[in-house]
Amino acid sequence: MTLEVCVMALGVVLMLADFWLPADRKKFAGYAAVAALAGLLFLSFGGCGCCSLSGTAFNGMFVEDGLAVFFKRFFLIAAILVLFMAVEFSDRIAGGVSEYYSLIVFALSGMLFAASANDFTMLFVSIELITITFYILTSFQRGRLVSLEAGVKYLILGALSSSFLVFGIALVWGTTGKLNFNELAAVAAQFESNKIFLIGVLFILVGLGFKIAAFPFQIWAPDVYQGAPTPTTAFLAVGSKAAGFVLLLRVLFTAVPTVTAHWANLLIVISGITILYGNLCALPQRNLKRLLGYSSIAHAGYLLLGVAALSTSGQSALLYYLAGYLFTVCAAFTVICLVTRHLDNDDLSALAGLNRRSPLLAATMTLAMVSLAGIPPLAGFFGKFLLLKSVLEQGAANPGYYCLAFTALAGVVISFYYYFGVIRAIYWSKAAADVSPISLSGPIKVALWICIAGMFWLGLFPSKALNLATEAASVFAK
Amino acid sequence: MEQSQLMQYLPVLMLIVVAIGFAAGTLTISVFLGQSAKRTKAKDMAYECGANPIGENTPRFSIKFHLVAMLFILFDIEVVFLYPWAVVYRDMLADHATRNLILGSMISFMFILFAGYLYALKKKAFDWKN
Amino acid sequence: MHAGLEHYLTVSFLLFSLGLLGVILRRNLLVIYMSLELMLNAANLALVSFSRFNDNLNGQVLVFFIITVAAAEVSVGLALIVALYRRRQSAHVEDLTTMKL
Repeated sequence: MTLEVCVMALGVVLMLADFWLPADRKKFAGYAAVAALAGLLFLSFGGCGCCSLSGTAFNGMFVEDGLAVFFKRFFLIAAILVLFMAVEFSDRIAGGVSEYYSLIVFALSGMLFAASANDFTMLFVSIELITITFYILTSFQRGRLVSLEAGVKYLILGALSSSFLVFGIALVWGTTGKLNFNELAAVAAQFESNKIFLIGVLFILVGLGFKIAAFPFQIWAPDVYQGAPTPTTAFLAVGSKAAGFVLLLRVLFTAVPTVTAHWANLLIVISGITILYGNLCALPQRNLKRLLGYSSIAHAGYLLLGVAALSTSGQSALLYYLAGYLFTVCAAFTVICLVTRHLDNDDLSALAGLNRRSPLLAATMTLAMVSLAGIPPLAGFFGKFLLLKSVLEQGAANPGYYCLAFTALAGVVISFYYYFGVIRAIYWSKAAADVSPISLSGPIKVALWICIAGMFWLGLFPSKALNLATEAASVFAK
Repeated sequence: MEQSQLMQYLPVLMLIVVAIGFAAGTLTISVFLGQSAKRTKAKDMAYECGANPIGENTPRFSIKFHLVAMLFILFDIEVVFLYPWAVVYRDMLADHATRNLILGSMISFMFILFAGYLYALKKKAFDWKN
Repeated sequence: MHAGLEHYLTVSFLLFSLGLLGVILRRNLLVIYMSLELMLNAANLALVSFSRFNDNLNGQVLVFFIITVAAAEVSVGLALIVALYRRRQSAHVEDLTTMKL
């Protein structure tokens, strides 16, 4: 709990700091927030009561276990990288720079609560804290029409998904009388044939499927990714998606494990279609952020492989893949944020001649694309390998898993085309419109190096991170 | 028992019947008895004490009204949490284990609300002029 | 006739379906937003009636949370729609076409 309280307090302080900070200092409030979050992250490793490994609060609504701690560190790192990006982005925000930082921190606190949610009330409140904050973050550039449009689209579809979620919770609670996940798990088996209960669970999955942008609830993703300010897009791609996954894992494997066991085929189909849809739609894209939006749908599909496998190895592979995805996506969006600083659009052509303008940015973008495509030795490769392995392990029981693994491989091959399209745009474009070198501030260099180091570390020395992921996933093995 | 409960609603039903009947009746009678008058533009005009009406008939609200209304709804609705809190307050205060929790939780909640209020105040959201 | 749990649930399902139809069929953003509120309140009705018939107060506490969250959602949503209207002079979904394939 201490961690959440600290983050919440930080958000309030940042919000109020707006009134007392002189205008030219506001931009740097972001670095203060980064320092505070880094301190909290450090404390969480030191074990000073910030992240204890066991315990509950609020009558079991809030749980501290391996999975929660894993995701809390994940979200802290994500928020730190996004805040670095937000400081670079601040000159493109017309008003309220420190509000932008504080909203990022509030969204972070929602994610931290989501990591520990062990009750449908907590699930609902944390997911709404994240979503409502993101409505504002998405439309923060009020002067840009695309930003507003993206915000309104996210608002309508987000509200739709939360009403499904709420109705599902109402039905599940009405039939079983339980809101707590552990208590529900104890009685869920009795309700396996209760239609109303099953509809309720399905509605909850609809609400969560929207958060992770899984087919058929992915409609919003490309538009919102394209229109939102770049740091928001990065946080949406990493934080919001991971929060959706931690809640999905908790609901599927803690609350209703007996129902999940019957729904393997449904998960297989959703995962397969999501992979194909994301990859195929990404092929013709020329807008960088929209391309990454479709690619993030495809990655939601890959991550669902780990869910569909219904095994501890699948869950730990999912967690490992998410960790790799964090550094990769943050690297890609940081580069986009810096390159398009003086441009109106985020077209692929903006990358032309980047290797001459800034070798570090070109290298980072290349590494990010290689990692997303899943080529050794970077993080993406080993993650995809683990996910496929966990799916194939289950193949003996259900041949559908072989089809799924094949679909995933086909998706990876398709994705090579557009990821290498990005790399080609950097190195082999015909005419570069702008050849002025891009100057990088010190802190953003640090952020870029963190991303690069993360990608290499997870790819080359996977054992440490994999141990952490397995430890975290072991909460479902009980 | 159910019969008697439903009987209690009988006056309401009668009132509804009388109300509908009166409205429908007067309208029907006026169709039959009244002369059909000619409609002219001047007659369709809104009556404002003999003077010609000026401007639109739906007044436009200042956008400020919207802002204050939203803030009112937000702060108003948060009070709903005080009710369940007040219900269990006495019991939890008596219990030694939960004494600090019950007070601390509401104080922190109020603190966050107050920070929000302070923010709205400083942003001059409550300022009607300008 | 005594109104039982199933009657309340039927009304709740109907409200939810009406809201969903409104979201799908209507073209004005504000009307769509009202339909969304209708869906949330359908869930509230289901929760309260379950709570009443199962003699369990947890559902009503959840309703408190839903109401407050809905209020927050509405304030953000209306602000967004007004901001969009000021830029576009329109609150129709057909006009949200800046971003296409």
